[in-house]
Amino acid sequence: MARLVQELNRLPGIGPKSAQRLAYYIIRLPDEEAFALADAVTAVKQNIVFCEECQNLTDASPCQVCSDPRRDRTIICVVEDPLDVLAMERTRSFRGLYHVLHGVISPMNGVGPDQIKLKELFSRLTRADISEMVVATNPTLEGEATAMYIRRHQGRDDLKVTHLARGLPVGGSLEYTDETTLTRAFQGRQEL
Amino acid sequence: MAPPRTYRCEAIILSYTPLGESDLLVTMFTRDQGKVRAVGKGARRSTSKLVGHLEPLTVTKMSMAHGRSMDMISQAEVVLSFSKLKEDLTGITKGLYLAELVDGFGAEDSANPELYQLMTDTLRAIETDPVSDMPLRFFEFHLLQVSGLMPELYHCVECRAELEPDAHRFSPNVGGTLCLDCNPDDAHLRPLSLRALKVLRLLNRSDIAAACNLSLDNSLAAELKSLLSTTVRYWLGKEIRSNSFLDRLNNESQSEVYFNSL
Repeated sequence: MARLVQELNRLPGIGPKSAQRLAYYIIRLPDEEAFALADAVTAVKQNIVFCEECQNLTDASPCQVCSDPRRDRTIICVVEDPLDVLAMERTRSFRGLYHVLHGVISPMNGVGPDQIKLKELFSRLTRADISEMVVATNPTLEGEATAMYIRRHQGRDDLKVTHLARGLPVGGSLEYTDETTLTRAFQGRQEL
Repeated sequence: MAPPRTYRCEAIILSYTPLGESDLLVTMFTRDQGKVRAVGKGARRSTSKLVGHLEPLTVTKMSMAHGRSMDMISQAEVVLSFSKLKEDLTGITKGLYLAELVDGFGAEDSANPELYQLMTDTLRAIETDPVSDMPLRFFEFHLLQVSGLMPELYHCVECRAELEPDAHRFSPNVGGTLCLDCNPDDAHLRPLSLRALKVLRLLNRSDIAAACNLSLDNSLAAELKSLLSTTVRYWLGKEIRSNSFLDRLNNESQSEVYFNSL
């Protein structure tokens, strides 16, 4: 019991009290549900690998997106983590390939270019069939720093490097929008 | 009478970490209370009224509410965004270096308005000239001063004799400069050239604008950088993590200058 609490306590956002609650919940679960949970954890650790192309998490490499012949192989979208791929796929507006960095450059946390999947990205970009890279890191300070680093080091003069538009979110409010976002929204205004 | 539940403050945002489903745990340095850690409820949602106002290296005015374990940010409005600084990778990295040092030296519930002013002045100087390293040297030197750790630059810290215009030695462990006659058993002891001593004295009595006008040759700049960053690291008691990325960017830009000159 103490071991289970200790292991649950390691999970992000789970404090000692929550760990105890979850442990008691697991003890009260029917055997098959508890074993299914244990099996799922074991299976995910044994079967999930990085896709050799895009570095996304997958159970077969290359992943479903990279091996789909209908995807546009000339455009590559760089995202911070696998959840961003799911968010982009939900839009159904992007038909190119992805590259997952698994983090951003975060100098204060000691995360530099070598700790994320940048080497793999730059090696992919040497292929001439890629003509555009969309840098879709989050519009945070560290996301922007990572985007600037990528632009500076991508090493090709003929590659079109773009980033996602900055501006107002749907359902947002001008009154509460910070000046940087509002300025960028104004700069990126579109004809009605 | 119970103290008021809410208060206002102006702060420089130092960093944040995600908390729970959509909250942020924000570390900031306020003018009146020193370092504060507070929660921005829902601040990671794109439609949150806090989003964009809590980015690191931003001066923000906030309304806060005292919580049971941590204060909550109820309103935030950017006062100074340093947007030009944030358009440059070196500028951002230098700004984050300052933030890491203020996080390390700043104390909670202990106002240090001089340190607050020093950080905003230095961010402005970096924004004006992201290439020069002088704002960082000025910051490191005055960080020691406003933290009560100012090194001695005019007398030998061992024998108290006035320093002759000559090369000397320096150790953060004994509190500053040593004459050549004094030989304490100190692992942190290092040589200090007369030129570097003069620059340190100049940093002591000049403002940031004058300091940023200084132009140092490569060897003197390297000596000062090594001396000040070693001293800051000694007092901090741990590695400064943003330093390695900053060094990497500096080395890359020096290589570019070298290859362009060939």
